[in-house]
Formats: sequence, structure tokens, C-alpha cells
Amino acid sequence: MSLSKSASADGKTLTIQIKGKFDFNLVQSFRQAYAEVDGQTDKVIIDLRETDYMDSSALGMLLNMKKTLGESVSSITISNCRPQLKKILQISRFDKKFDID
Amino acid sequence: MLEQQNYLVELANNGQQALEKLSEHSIDIVLLDVMMPVMDGFETAPLIKQQAGDVYLPIIFITALEDHQSFEKCLEVGGDDFIHKPFDKIILSAKIKAHARTRRLSQEANRQKKELEYHYNQTEREHEIVEHIFSNALSQQQTFPKLCDFHLSPASMFNGDMFLMAQSPLGGFYCLLGDFTGHGLAAAVGALPASRIFYAMVAKGMSVSDIAYELNNALAELLPGHMFCAAAIMELSESGRSVSAWLGGLPDLYVIDKQGQLIKTLESQHMALGILEPDEFERNIVHFEVNENLRIVMATDGIVETESKQFSMFGEERLKLVLASKPNIGTEDIISQVHQFSGHSEQQDDLSIAIINCIANPLIINPEVSYSKLPFDFHVALNADQMKSNDPILELVNMLSTVEGVDNHRSNIFLLLSEAYNNALDHGVLGLDSEIKNQEDGFFTFYQMREAALTQLQDAQIEILANYEPENRQIRFTITDSGTGFLKSEQGTTSLSQEHGRGLGLLSEIAHSVSYNETGNCVELIYSLNNNPYIS
Repeated sequence: MSLSKSASADGKTLTIQIKGKFDFNLVQSFRQAYAEVDGQTDKVIIDLRETDYMDSSALGMLLNMKKTLGESVSSITISNCRPQLKKILQISRFDKKFDID
Repeated sequence: MLEQQNYLVELANNGQQALEKLSEHSIDIVLLDVMMPVMDGFETAPLIKQQAGDVYLPIIFITALEDHQSFEKCLEVGGDDFIHKPFDKIILSAKIKAHARTRRLSQEANRQKKELEYHYNQTEREHEIVEHIFSNALSQQQTFPKLCDFHLSPASMFNGDMFLMAQSPLGGFYCLLGDFTGHGLAAAVGALPASRIFYAMVAKGMSVSDIAYELNNALAELLPGHMFCAAAIMELSESGRSVSAWLGGLPDLYVIDKQGQLIKTLESQHMALGILEPDEFERNIVHFEVNENLRIVMATDGIVETESKQFSMFGEERLKLVLASKPNIGTEDIISQVHQFSGHSEQQDDLSIAIINCIANPLIINPEVSYSKLPFDFHVALNADQMKSNDPILELVNMLSTVEGVDNHRSNIFLLLSEAYNNALDHGVLGLDSEIKNQEDGFFTFYQMREAALTQLQDAQIEILANYEPENRQIRFTITDSGTGFLKSEQGTTSLSQEHGRGLGLLSEIAHSVSYNETGNCVELIYSLNNNPYIS
């Protein structure tokens, strides 16, 4: 379980990648990852390509991020979800609030 | 006289004998009389030369004849020099020395030529072997005709160009266009480890920046200092909607529409692979949205640097014009226009170009899974100390995943166990109130309180029972906590605005059934393995 973040070359996209499980153990580091979003960042991608597991605490963390960032970014995309995780997001109606790719 | 000067001398009385002696002994210089019985000098000389082959064997005619015609005849039949009878000792000695020197040079040259031939043949053979290995290593890849059209001239491989593509388990389409510095075998060797790493990492669904990082490290370690690999590594998401690319040292990539109009130019961001140390490496990628009308063009410098007979370069502007010269242009069209420009009909050596169509690439998964026929169960009881120091869910999921077929469901099983266990711990054992999460920054506060409460915890127990029932193809979980039970009214709340209760909603969607006991300190979940875990 770990979290890494990287900015795109033009500085407009922040990618947060989560490895292993996405649950409350990441509460602090996840909050920190988006706390530094500045005016230049236009888009946030939560890359779940290496995320095997998530639970409702992860959903809570995602919603908190959405609330915090508000209108300061134009989109938040949750990308590269495995099918079971995508289903969890759909059941929770996250497709209405996030761009799920 | 010659023996006095330490020459070894073999005598022959006629031409026939001379030829025999030549094949028996290693003769360095022939002194040949014109007048001889059986076979005279004029007749013998050409045969001696023929026998000597490629190495220079000097023939010095000894003659009493004085006329020019005879001299000419001597040279004509292969004589290298002549000396008159009676001859001068010093002149003969000088001539022999001069011709011996020439013969030594000729022998040396011949030896070198043979050596060169040997090495040439060996190199040829090695090239053949390597070419075979390369074509096996690089061409066994899957092709994606709808997604990607590429041209890599056969000679390109030995010029260090490579194009790799693969699909990840998540459906993303990855490709890599690389151009190693230099030419020939040396430039091509890096392609083998690079392709291995690429395929292995795509198979794990890693991000392009991770792939670039690994390739850079491997190549930096492997290649000599002056060698590196300019590359573009790209991932198109399964939905065909977004592209991530790491660009290091290749010419600009173009995003064009179906008509070939330029939409966007992507410039190289980084140094080529294999130069920087791991800690200096830059992972930054470019990320952009695409749609099914867009195409991405990537090429090595071979195309723009192609020269015409007038020594002008094909250039980027001409490439853009060619791209717009017809709708949905293919790589073969482009290559033939490059050939037309260069005026060469034959294949130029390193023309590599790929066009990627930004379309969805749905993953086809075979849901056929077989399940173990043996029952399996476990019972785990955690005390307060164990709750403090462990996050047991993943371990339990891994345990269950060893049952044949269950592994495919591990994300769902994790979710069920995680929700049930955390409910039992947070509310049952620790007695925390979910309402906290609704306050300003409550979510974070909640987990701080949880941690504080956990350190204080004494005398508590959570029991987890799992029971795999092969006949019903389901797993029954029972989670019991030592708490006083939590309120059942929270069940089923899935409102997005509320900060809690979401977990319970999820539980009831993912599980086949969820039931609580009277007090609410025991929950039974049944998870059906008949649901295809891959269909979302």
C-alpha cells in the first residue's frame, strides 16, 4: 500500500496513484497529496491501475477531495479502475460526481 | 654461389622437374633458364605462376639471349625480371633480395586477406543469428490492426529502431517507439532487454512513467556511456478517451484529425532513455483527452531527415502536408511519398512511423473459472492487542484467495470484510459515532478519534468466521464483536451527501445477503461466487 503523486510536464495535471489497497490507512497521505494543488493545476487524475482493493473509506476520501478542491480544478478523473472497483464506484453513484475512465 | 650466401637451393634440370620441385618444397624465388630440355622456360613460367596462386612467386629468367624480342617474351609469359649469362654476382644477389622482399609482403597481404575473409564470414553469420533472435523477440507481439498502423523497415532493426505494443490487463493500449543511437548490431542490442521490460510492465498494467523509469535504469546500466535510446512511450486508455505519454528525445509527435489536420504538437520533454541516473530521471508525462476522431503520429528522425537527390531534407512541414494529403492516411502512403521525395525506389534504411487511432479497445475477458470442490473455513478471533497492531483484512483475503476460483473475487471479498470488520471495530468495539463524519472536516477527525480510541482499547474481541460452501458456490462470513451492537437504522443509506452509511449500502449491493442479529453485534454476509466479477 502506497501513494505517489506526479505532475504532468505542463504542470496542469496532477496524478495521484495508489498501489495495493485504498482505505483509511491513506487518510493523511491522500489529503496531503491534493492539499498542495495550486492555481496551475487544472485536472486531477486518481490512477487506480495498481489498486487492488478499496472500501467505503476510500469513497469518503474521494468525496472529501472533491469538496476541498471544489471548482478550483476543471475535472477529477478516476482512471484505470479494475472491473470490481469500477462496480463499487458505480454502485455508489460516483459516476455522477467524477469522471470515471 | 647462392649456397655461399645461405640460400637453400633446389635444382631442376627441366621445366617438368621444376614444377615437381615447386609442389614438394616451399620455394620463394625461381631462377629460370630459357633453354631447357623437355619443357623450356617460356612454357614453364606460366605454369609456375598458376601453381603459385594468389601469393607472388618471383621468376627471374636467366638468359644468354640478347635481343629485345626475347626480353619481351620473358615478361609476357610471367617473368618478373631477367639476368644475363654470364651474370654478375652482386646484381643477382640484389635482385634476389628485392624479389624476396616483395614476396614476403605478398605473403603477408595474403594472410591478412584470408583473416579478413574469415572475420567477414563470421560477422555475417552472427548477424544472421542475431537477426533471427530479434525477429523472434520483437515480432511475436500481438498486433492491433484497428488501433495501430505502423511501418518499420526491415533494416531499421539493425539501425536501432524498435516499435513495441501491448495491451494491459486493464485494457489500456501501450506502444513504444524507440531509436537507439548509432548503427548496426551495437545499436540493436539494447532492444532485447528493452522489449522484455516493456512487455513485462505492460502485463502488470504499470504507468508509462514507471515503464520509462525502469527502461532508463536498465539501459543506463547496460549501454556504454555514448549510447542511449530516444523514445516515446504512450498509453491509450481502454475507453479510448485519454492518453498519457512519456516523451524523451524523439521528434515531435502529432495529434491529427481524420482529415490529417494538425490538432496538437507534442514536443519531447526529456532526455533520451539510458542517460540519466535513477535519481535524476524525470518521470513527468504529458496527459491529454482524445476522442475517436483523433490519431497520433509518431516517427523516428529517419523520415524528416530523408534527403532528396538535391540534398534537401524531407522535413517536418512536408510531413504535415503529407499527413493532410488524404483522409485517414496510412503509414504505407507516407513511406511511399518519402521514397518519391528521395528519388530512391529501394527501401531506405531507417524509416519508422506509427499512427495510433484513439478508439476504445474493450478488453475481452474469459469469465470461465473453475472453483474448488472442497469446503474450506477459518475462524479468527482477535483480542484488543491484535486489533491495535494488525490490519487483518488483507491477510484474510489472501488466505481465502488460495481456494481455487476465489482469487478472481478478492476485491469484492476485501470490500465485504473491510466494511464488516471496520463497522465492528469502529462502532461495536470502539463505540465511535459516525455522525462525526458529517461535521466540518469530520472525516479526518473521525480517523483521529479512532486511532486515539484504539490505543486505549482493552478487553475486546472480534471474531471472523469464513465458510466456503462449494455446493452453493458461496462464502458465508460471520463477524461478531464484543460491543453492545450498533444501530440498524443506518442500513441502506446510500445518499452521496451523507458521510457515513455508504459502506452498508455497498455491503448489501456486493453481498448476496446481509443479516444482523437482534443486538446488532453480529453480522452474517453471504457472497455468491456465481456473479461474474469482471462485469461491472
